[in-house]
Amino acid sequence: MDLDTVKTRAGPREFSPADDLPQEYREAATRMIEFHANSEIMGAYLERPFIRQAPSIDRKLAFSAKVQDEIGHGQLLYRAAESLGVKTREEMLEDLANGDGKFLNCFHYPLKSWVEIPMISFFVDGAAMRRQATLRRTSWEPYAHAMDKVCFEEGFHVKHGEDILKELMTGSRKEQEMTQEAFEEWWPRIIQFFGPTDDKSTHHDFAASVGLKQQSNDELRDAFLDQYIPKARKHGLEIPDEPRIRERDDGTYAVEEGDLDWDEFFTIAKNDYEPGLGQINGRKQAQDAVQWVRDTIEGDATTAGGHAPQAAD
Amino acid sequence: MSLESPTELDARERDALETLLKRLADDEFVLAERYTEWQVQAPSLESDLALANNAQDELGHARLWYDVLEDLGFEEQELIYERDPADFRHTTLVERSFEEGDWADAVLRSYLYDAAEELRLEALEDSAYPKIADRVGKIQSEEAYHLEHAQNWVERLAEGEEGHERLQDALDRLFPHALTLFEPVDREVERDIVDLGLRDATLEELGEEWLSIVVPYLESLELELPVSAQVDDDTFEITEEMLPEERGRDGSHTDAWFDLHDELTHTYRDLGRSETTKIMEKPE
Repeated sequence: MDLDTVKTRAGPREFSPADDLPQEYREAATRMIEFHANSEIMGAYLERPFIRQAPSIDRKLAFSAKVQDEIGHGQLLYRAAESLGVKTREEMLEDLANGDGKFLNCFHYPLKSWVEIPMISFFVDGAAMRRQATLRRTSWEPYAHAMDKVCFEEGFHVKHGEDILKELMTGSRKEQEMTQEAFEEWWPRIIQFFGPTDDKSTHHDFAASVGLKQQSNDELRDAFLDQYIPKARKHGLEIPDEPRIRERDDGTYAVEEGDLDWDEFFTIAKNDYEPGLGQINGRKQAQDAVQWVRDTIEGDATTAGGHAPQAAD
Repeated sequence: MSLESPTELDARERDALETLLKRLADDEFVLAERYTEWQVQAPSLESDLALANNAQDELGHARLWYDVLEDLGFEEQELIYERDPADFRHTTLVERSFEEGDWADAVLRSYLYDAAEELRLEALEDSAYPKIADRVGKIQSEEAYHLEHAQNWVERLAEGEEGHERLQDALDRLFPHALTLFEPVDREVERDIVDLGLRDATLEELGEEWLSIVVPYLESLELELPVSAQVDDDTFEITEEMLPEERGRDGSHTDAWFDLHDELTHTYRDLGRSETTKIMEKPE
């Protein structure tokens, strides 16, 4: 299939591994899904220590289930990416470990305290929900299919995140203050979740023209603000003065893009953001430390005739 | 004999029940904590998920046992977040820390624990305290999978040179601590647990049966026990000199536990909480 045909046919769930697709499409789809999969893994990496720090057994159980879900989403997405035939899962995971794999800006920031948990599991996951909901109509069918399951589970995460936020914001004065402080720190990063404005987005045009991306960064960001500014206020959070938020005549919101730190954003996008290197390197170290197990299994596989054993997984 | 209602227990019965439940709950709770460390750190996404699953199962079991303790008037914060770490009753096997990447530790620890868990649950099937007997079945169905998973991995690692070496190393470190699974919290209370029919096997019996299973199994994989537990051909016994200094059950713990307890109570203390949040319905 040539690119023009792809563009003409580009519609929801239009293409599957049975189609002979041009390299440009395969590469763009791989880049997008790989980014998404990497983000699930790095999010889980960041949140995992807070299973231990959760302040009750029920929270611990719910949070541990969430982290497990994120790993499952990663697994599902790598499979959807792999089916494009550009990169294997091993190559993607290796790139992630080496610091070459790209992932969401929010997961480059270290997570220090439980009060930051709703910043991820309510706001960031809520932002992700918005984007993911539109991706159920992406043109790469395996990706859209993965989104069905991901969206279903993500709905529970956001609910639990909101419940944690509500508990903190109706808790002691100290809890409320700590939560407000965390919100002020995270708010600009959360807005940047949706990436740069459309005119600065490098990959948007092509991805949109072949139906991979269903809504632009600006549309998604504005819709998020419309939905989450009232929610934040409802829970007693004050929206910080910066970045400035404009309320349009019709009651919708828009952010003053210039107030956001785009240098930091693009440093992060290159995996060069200093505080986030701890996460990237920490995960690499953990992966290197279990390399001996993978070598053992591959050794088995070679002697057994090339089939990677699954039974003990 | 059946002990029907928590309010009608005399002091001796209550003490026995509380002790038995704390052994069970604390073991599962602390083991789950160590399993969670493997999430996003295991050799593959599949093994990440498997251990995440184990962790949630064990945590769920801990919740079931702590819930029975709550019938005796305890609240969750007294049982976990505000309890003196030196009053926890778990075996030292579950509290031990491990080096990053030591997958042999994870699977061997799981094997040693789950083999004992299987026997322990069997001995609780007809417990005189009905709520204990009722909960055993649900737990057994999940534990069977843990044991199978652990054995698959132990066998797979034992085949390779490096895997075998690492398993031996883990066995040398973990085996003495595994023996504390069968140590009493208090000898007299332990006698009461069996006399009252709360558990229908003594710790000595459970320990000997466990040894008769794990020793031949490990030896069949050409792993050497750091201590000899064999009296003759088919008789095994745990003796005083085989045990580590810290026994867990009696409140003596290794430093790893105090560090872990400090971490897991961090948020609760940091936020100045005085109670815990329940978001799920009480278990059946």
